Amino acid sequence: MGLLSPLYLAGAAAAVVPIVLHLLKRQQEQRVRFAAVAFLKDAPVERTSRRRLREWLLLMLRVAALVLLALAFARPFFRPAAAAAAGTTVVALDTSFSMSAPGRFERAKELARDAIRNAARADDVAVVTFADQADVLVRPTADRGSALAAVDAARSGFGSTKYRAGVNAASALAAGRRAAIVIVTDLQENGWDAGEPASVSGETRVEVRDVGALPDNLAITALRVVDGRAVATVLNNSRQGRQVRGRLSLDGRPAAQATVSIGARESADMTFHDVLAAQGVVAVAIDDPQGLQADNVRYALVSGATRPGVLVVTATGDSSRDAFYLEHALAAGRAGDASQVTSVSASSLSASPPEQIRRHAVVVLLSTRGLEPRGREWLASYVAGGGGLLIAAGPDVDGEVIADVLGSDRRLGVTPALGRPGDEQAHAALTLAPADVRHPIFRAFGAEAASLGLVTFRTIARISGATCETLAKFTSGDAAILDCAAGDGRALIVGSDLNNRWNDFPLRASFVPFVHEAVRYLSAPGPRAAEYLVGDVPAGVAPVPGVVDEGGRRAVVNVDSRESEPARISADEFQAAVTRLKDASADGARISVSEQEGRQHLWQFLLVSMLVTLAVEGLIAARAA
Amino acid sequence: MPASPRDRQFLDPAVVARLGTLELKARTVVEGFISGLHRSPFKGFSVEFAEYRQYIHGDDLSTIDWKVFARSDRYYVKKFEEETNLDCQLMIDVSGSMAYGSRGITKFQYAACLAAALGYLMNRQHDGVGLTAFDERIVAALPPGRRPGHLRSLLITLDRLALGTRTNVSKPLHQLADSTNRRGMVVLISDLLDEPEAIVRGLKHFQHRGAEVLVFQVLDPDEIEFPFDRITRFEDLETNDEVMAVPELVRSHYLERMSGLIERYRRELGAAGIDYQLLSTSQPLEFALLAYLSTRSRTA
Repeated sequence: MGLLSPLYLAGAAAAVVPIVLHLLKRQQEQRVRFAAVAFLKDAPVERTSRRRLREWLLLMLRVAALVLLALAFARPFFRPAAAAAAGTTVVALDTSFSMSAPGRFERAKELARDAIRNAARADDVAVVTFADQADVLVRPTADRGSALAAVDAARSGFGSTKYRAGVNAASALAAGRRAAIVIVTDLQENGWDAGEPASVSGETRVEVRDVGALPDNLAITALRVVDGRAVATVLNNSRQGRQVRGRLSLDGRPAAQATVSIGARESADMTFHDVLAAQGVVAVAIDDPQGLQADNVRYALVSGATRPGVLVVTATGDSSRDAFYLEHALAAGRAGDASQVTSVSASSLSASPPEQIRRHAVVVLLSTRGLEPRGREWLASYVAGGGGLLIAAGPDVDGEVIADVLGSDRRLGVTPALGRPGDEQAHAALTLAPADVRHPIFRAFGAEAASLGLVTFRTIARISGATCETLAKFTSGDAAILDCAAGDGRALIVGSDLNNRWNDFPLRASFVPFVHEAVRYLSAPGPRAAEYLVGDVPAGVAPVPGVVDEGGRRAVVNVDSRESEPARISADEFQAAVTRLKDASADGARISVSEQEGRQHLWQFLLVSMLVTLAVEGLIAARAA
Repeated sequence: MPASPRDRQFLDPAVVARLGTLELKARTVVEGFISGLHRSPFKGFSVEFAEYRQYIHGDDLSTIDWKVFARSDRYYVKKFEEETNLDCQLMIDVSGSMAYGSRGITKFQYAACLAAALGYLMNRQHDGVGLTAFDERIVAALPPGRRPGHLRSLLITLDRLALGTRTNVSKPLHQLADSTNRRGMVVLISDLLDEPEAIVRGLKHFQHRGAEVLVFQVLDPDEIEFPFDRITRFEDLETNDEVMAVPELVRSHYLERMSGLIERYRRELGAAGIDYQLLSTSQPLEFALLAYLSTRSRTA
């Protein structure tokens, strides 16, 4: 039995009032020694004994009515017997592919079984597995056997570690109970990402059972096909250098082999020349029998529609002046990676034949001055047809023109500060921060994504789009980079310029890789999202690495390469990352008991009982009168 | 029973009760009463002397005083003192119920004063007066006597009486009636809170023995009016039984029972030729003396 508002029970003290009145009334009663008592005996009055009984009955009824009223206001409820008496031990088992090394998941399952066996006898046990998402295998139950069976049946998958999913799912199972959450994991650092924190009740105990560090491992962390070459990035997470042999297959047919030497804790590109596929699925595999298996193969989609270069649209068409830094950034890198850059003025774009635009993999729009409606149509057509558009919302870009190009129904707003004095936002030291470091344009930065925060933005433009994904934000909270879908193409919009006018981005080391990754992302073949990570596959697509058929088009699914990174955190750091919201837990528990009380409505029965008690009291009192 | 303006000419029983001895009380009451008689409707009715009265039809011829006839040529009847004297037995109830009193005097005190006054008056008339005190049995008995010293004995006996326990009026009545050989007068002073049928039967027993009977029912005003207003736990003076009652709820029933009892005594005793007088302890004792003299005159 619990009480939702126990303070109201203090109202039961009012029961003292009728007791005191009863006692005072007794004292007021007079005694008379009388001669003609015989004449009173047969009068229609009650005898002393009967009256005493009635007075006590009335007193009890009045006290009961007050107590019932106080109890009703206290809103009692019955706790479920199991929940009130026992706690819950929730075992959360990490099933990410970093657990898939030989013997590693068996070790994890043994730790989970130990946790179940060692749970308090009165506790229920529950089993949760988690990777990108959490799955509840066994809800809280006293049946240890089913929990052990569920652990036995668990398998490691291909997802990446998301501690938040596992902790939150376990916490939800333990809501309103005394609980212990046992996390069985390898404590990978990448398991904590930005976003909503993992929170548990303040009374919930979190225990970490460490499976241990990753074994020596080789992993293909990236695969790209550029100009007839396939380049696979291989990470050697071993204590010594290794000679790695890779095999490339095209649509399942062996096509090439390559070998590369990689030092300890280093990565290297393994290049397969002369792939020359018009289109198809390229897969690169390496042998690593002692390490993780899921990262030993990676897939990429090759499209025949590869465009040869980048078209830069500037105010004057003089790229050496209007796009100096961008042109040099695109030209940087090894010979094979350098993009062919063509420059054109916005005013002359409409005079160019549309085929000229479509020959480019990416169009970088630095100015919309003089861009005729026909030029806008061609750009819109280019994007809708699968082209990539990089827009730097600098001083020469008009938001209305951008809306025309990307479609006004997208409710895209680009408001360059220059020329809109009222909208200008000048800040002394605005920087940007990636909202999702897993996005391809930030992938090259890896753990160095924070270096983007060194860029200082003096002026920014407000950019917004109802259907756009915000990839990065300024420290003011405004969007810094948007990824907008338009037809089969996509557009990246940067909320500042790229020519050292509103910011010092071109002067920073992060500028070149950013431009390269952005162009690479925008020039990716075919409809967007032809490549998924296991954790991001759409509904209906199995979260398994490989090739999938999505309604007639092919896409590839790869594992998240971050899962292959060896960085770990300590158990204490894990505990510190879990938010223990005492107030939140109290509120949660209160909501839980409130729901229980709301379902039972005992206060209504108590009020009815009180009314019945008062009615009986009234009847007895009326008969006495 | 509220006192009338005329009542206030007499002594308040509560005042009489505060006087010293019973003798003083009796003398105070009787002397005041006698002096008051000269102004009363009973003027000319004296018990102190044998009077000559003009003959009326029906008088015993033997009572005619022929000497007076010789001197006045008129017939006068001569009354002799021996013929006016009688023996009177005072029966006083000393049961526990007589202990109730609400106006400065209990029923027992009132009854004792009344008995003393009657005794004093009787002794002054040269009537023989005796005393019997009883509750459920006879607790004190003094045979009738006329000597002056007898009055003192009677007063001492009265003074020494203590309240008894339960009432059983009929039993002492029958005992006393059986022991009475000479016609005379019996005065019963009691609250009569007993079985009426048995009491009436006992009193009739005296009639059968040729005695004139006078009954004083002494009740406290509270018993007659039931003036209680707060919830009260009534405890019986004789049985200690308790009854919790809300007075306003039981008053009508009580008064009906009490008036029914009084009316029954009045009716049944009247039908039997027994004088009955209801006395409230707030009433002057002189009323009782008047009632006695009325009965006494009939006896003479």
